[in-house]
Amino acid sequence: MWSVIVSGLATGALFAATALVYNVMFSTSKVLSITTGHIAMLGGVFGAYFISGLGMPWIVGLLGAVVVGAAFGWLTDVLAIRRVLARSDEHLWLLSTLALATMVQQSVALWWGTEPKPFPRLIPQDFSAGIADQKFWLPIGMAIVMALGLELFYRRTMYGKLFVAMSEDAFAARARGVPTDRIRSLSYVIAGAMGALAGFAAGQLTFAYFALGLTLTLNGFIALAVGGLGSNVGALIGGAALGLLNAFSSYYVGGEFQQTISVGLLMLILLLKPEGLLGSKSIRAV
Amino acid sequence: MKLQAPARVAGVLVGATLTLFGGSALAQPIKIGWLSSLTGPLSSPALAENEGVKLAVEEINAAGGILGRQIELLTRDTAGDPTKAVNFAQQLAFSDKVDFVIGPVNSGEGLATTPVVARAGIPNLVIGSIDQLTDPKKYPRAFRVINTNTQWISSANDYALKTLKRTKVAVIGDTTGYGTSSAKTAQELLEKAGVKPVYSVLIDPNKTDLSDELTKAKEAGADVIMPWSAATGLLARLLNARGDMGWDVLVVGHPALMASQTRALLNKPVYWEKTFAAGYVSTTYDESGKLPPRTQELVDKMRPRLGGKELDILFWWVAMGYDCVKIIEHAVTKAGSTDPAAVQKVLENTSRYDGIYATYSWSPEQRNGFPDSNMAMNVANTFKDGSFKLAPR
Amino acid sequence: MKADIEPRHGRTTKLAALVVAALLAVTFPLWAGDLYQLHLAALIAAFWILIGGLNLVIGYTGQLSIGHVGLLAVGAYTFAILAGTLGLHPALAVGAAGALCGLVGLLLGLPSLRLPGFYFAMATMAVALIVGEFIMANDELTGGGIGLAVPALPAPFDSPAGFYYLALALAALVTWFSWNVARQMWGRGLIAIRDNPVTAQSVGVPVFRAKLKVFVFSGITAGVAGAVFASLQSYITPDTFVFELSLFFFVCIIIGGRGSIVGPLIGTVILTALPELVAPLAKLGNFFYGLLLLAVVLLVPEGIGRVFEVIAERLRPRRVESVPVSPDLRRLARALGTQR
Repeated sequence: MWSVIVSGLATGALFAATALVYNVMFSTSKVLSITTGHIAMLGGVFGAYFISGLGMPWIVGLLGAVVVGAAFGWLTDVLAIRRVLARSDEHLWLLSTLALATMVQQSVALWWGTEPKPFPRLIPQDFSAGIADQKFWLPIGMAIVMALGLELFYRRTMYGKLFVAMSEDAFAARARGVPTDRIRSLSYVIAGAMGALAGFAAGQLTFAYFALGLTLTLNGFIALAVGGLGSNVGALIGGAALGLLNAFSSYYVGGEFQQTISVGLLMLILLLKPEGLLGSKSIRAV
Repeated sequence: MKLQAPARVAGVLVGATLTLFGGSALAQPIKIGWLSSLTGPLSSPALAENEGVKLAVEEINAAGGILGRQIELLTRDTAGDPTKAVNFAQQLAFSDKVDFVIGPVNSGEGLATTPVVARAGIPNLVIGSIDQLTDPKKYPRAFRVINTNTQWISSANDYALKTLKRTKVAVIGDTTGYGTSSAKTAQELLEKAGVKPVYSVLIDPNKTDLSDELTKAKEAGADVIMPWSAATGLLARLLNARGDMGWDVLVVGHPALMASQTRALLNKPVYWEKTFAAGYVSTTYDESGKLPPRTQELVDKMRPRLGGKELDILFWWVAMGYDCVKIIEHAVTKAGSTDPAAVQKVLENTSRYDGIYATYSWSPEQRNGFPDSNMAMNVANTFKDGSFKLAPR
Repeated sequence: MKADIEPRHGRTTKLAALVVAALLAVTFPLWAGDLYQLHLAALIAAFWILIGGLNLVIGYTGQLSIGHVGLLAVGAYTFAILAGTLGLHPALAVGAAGALCGLVGLLLGLPSLRLPGFYFAMATMAVALIVGEFIMANDELTGGGIGLAVPALPAPFDSPAGFYYLALALAALVTWFSWNVARQMWGRGLIAIRDNPVTAQSVGVPVFRAKLKVFVFSGITAGVAGAVFASLQSYITPDTFVFELSLFFFVCIIIGGRGSIVGPLIGTVILTALPELVAPLAKLGNFFYGLLLLAVVLLVPEGIGRVFEVIAERLRPRRVESVPVSPDLRRLARALGTQR
């Protein structure tokens, strides 16, 4: 029983971290990017590449993965968001982020290969550790640290407050002299770094695999929708709920109905409480 | 005397016509269509098989071709997409008008293309393992070169039940198309042998940890685990969970257990012990550590083309690709032409044609050419240079 | 929005082009090179049956459904099961496939069409995954991983040319339907929903009902397309209906241009035929679709159809006629005088 709970929380932590990344991107741009899951995939793949492929020490691999993630976040902003937001059409960013996500997934497939490859052991630990194994606790720890870090960032730092300001009213922020474009770029860079960190932490769980992106985008989104858009605590709760649900359903029912059950959860929440468990009802000025 | 002149003229005329006719046929190359998923899933076997096919084509062409005709190889990358595979099959059959089709590699694509190629009446060498790919009545010109799924599963079942004398089997499949159908066949064959599995489950190939499933299998009292999945991630996690739990149950199953990608994902190399999989006589080392001579010959020929170092792929893929082209050579040479009906007749009366991968036999009622006697059980962690040691009897 | 104000010569050229294209399409089996090209043309027609309906959802109403491959799968399997396993008459099976998919569209649309854009897209993607799981899980019905053989349609549609004509006819029907919808006020209403749902609602467009109707229509066309596609392929497996196919449909519409019918049609023809013609593209496959989508979104968001229009404008600019306005001031004064 405990192993089901722990493995559920671990995968849930990865979903929660993805939801946090969604939140950061959304706060400054009001865009939910399809590339969110792919950032974590890049973190895992490049972490494995730097440490196992190039033989670097794990701290260098970690930094390298974070840099790659940040760069991809920045690229998402430049390519997919900046020009698109300038136009008034609401839906174009969905298309541009979908396009970018497809491109990055296929390029990684061509370069890295289509089979999952091993992710190195980060901390020396015996493999018979059972539920205390680092592959479970690294992602869980990382998700909690990330959520705490974000809260501190928003409350204590100037840039964090700028993010909050932008998410409440971008025009007013601009009127007050906030360089919204640069702040948005910064938020995407931070989101990219966070996502890569999450992917790196979860690497031993997921292996370095190119196809993680799309499923993580979907699952991270379910975690976000369940927890409530814009709430970091909600992201943690939503991720944990989804991860545990997946783990228990596959324990009792088997793997054939995974998607059905996860989506069932999503649809239920969206029908009953569309803004999520901890989200705020948004009243839009018309 | 008088007859000589007209006879000679007639002789010259006949000779000229024959040379013209025969000459134009001599100039025409033999077109072989090769449907291969060189990118996308299952690209590793496809790339290896491609090397074997290319080598055979080059060798035959260098020696003058088949019946004096050069082979023209038309390769089409299906990328694992059945719609593309059907499109390419149509293109090869009707646009390029090939004489033979090899492939596709992927069973899912094969199920869609075999009827198409059959409708065009073109001989098809099948290299997918799902049993439904051959049928003497529906696809009279489709001849299978690879073993069938049933042969893989039966070899493993026989080894587990008869040699290792296990009775409590846990069957593990994955949720992909291949996994679900293989697991189902495995269960049916076990039940036919009088054994009901104590635990059977289908697992998502990307599930991150399998210790729960293994714990359940252990609680059910399983004494052998038989996974039927081609997903190396899943198989590696299975072996990892077994090792992490410290459970020394035997694992007997799909050849992908022996693949280098699976080994790479193991937590510790020692987790690869006590793992057996279905393999082949042609890629098994004997007691003195030697491969069958023809296999060794091909390995030596292929090595420089594959990087010159120790081989990291399963060599039977290469051997099978090579054999496909050689079988075509055999069929055309014996039939005297590429006429599909003649080729069909030759192939369906082929008994014990010695390839490198296997010794093939087909018959008018039987389109699966791989004999049971060429199956062998291998020990996973004896992988060296593309082949394995024989599992202890 | 210029259909009514086009200059005469613009309209006749368009009509001429349409007639020529229709003639080419109808006579295709006669001048096609071989059966393979005929197969490809029939595939394009089958895809267009789905894309033509989906175009109304994505291009006109702006609902970004990326899960329509699930509906295609439902249509294909329904046809295969009814016409193959159960032996129903194929025409009935095709109709049933369309109807069932319309129902699935209704069930999917009811909860999800109220959701904002991204949520809706994710919901449709998730449903496509659920359909995949369902197919795999019910293998007695669907053949599971092994798939199902699909019977051919009865004569005269069992020959390649006959089948092509049937697919063409159905595609033409869908085109005519959607063109009618687009042309009339209803179509304008859909575009209004896409561009600004709040304004549309305030002007009286029944937003949710319109979205639902269009979505159900796209479900029906997807079902029929699935049946036709299945019969063309003659064997269906779950591997055929992957997410990348949804992406393909999506890209066809977007690069063709939203709010147009001819654009996505051209898009479908080009994107289906292109990988066959350019072999390296077949390898790059999905990367290429992503790149194309990104390029179009960034550079020509109105689609490639718009590029042609821009070029046409440059070559032959529309003459802007200015009619001098000379009001009858005396009459005006009289009218104003009587107002007091």
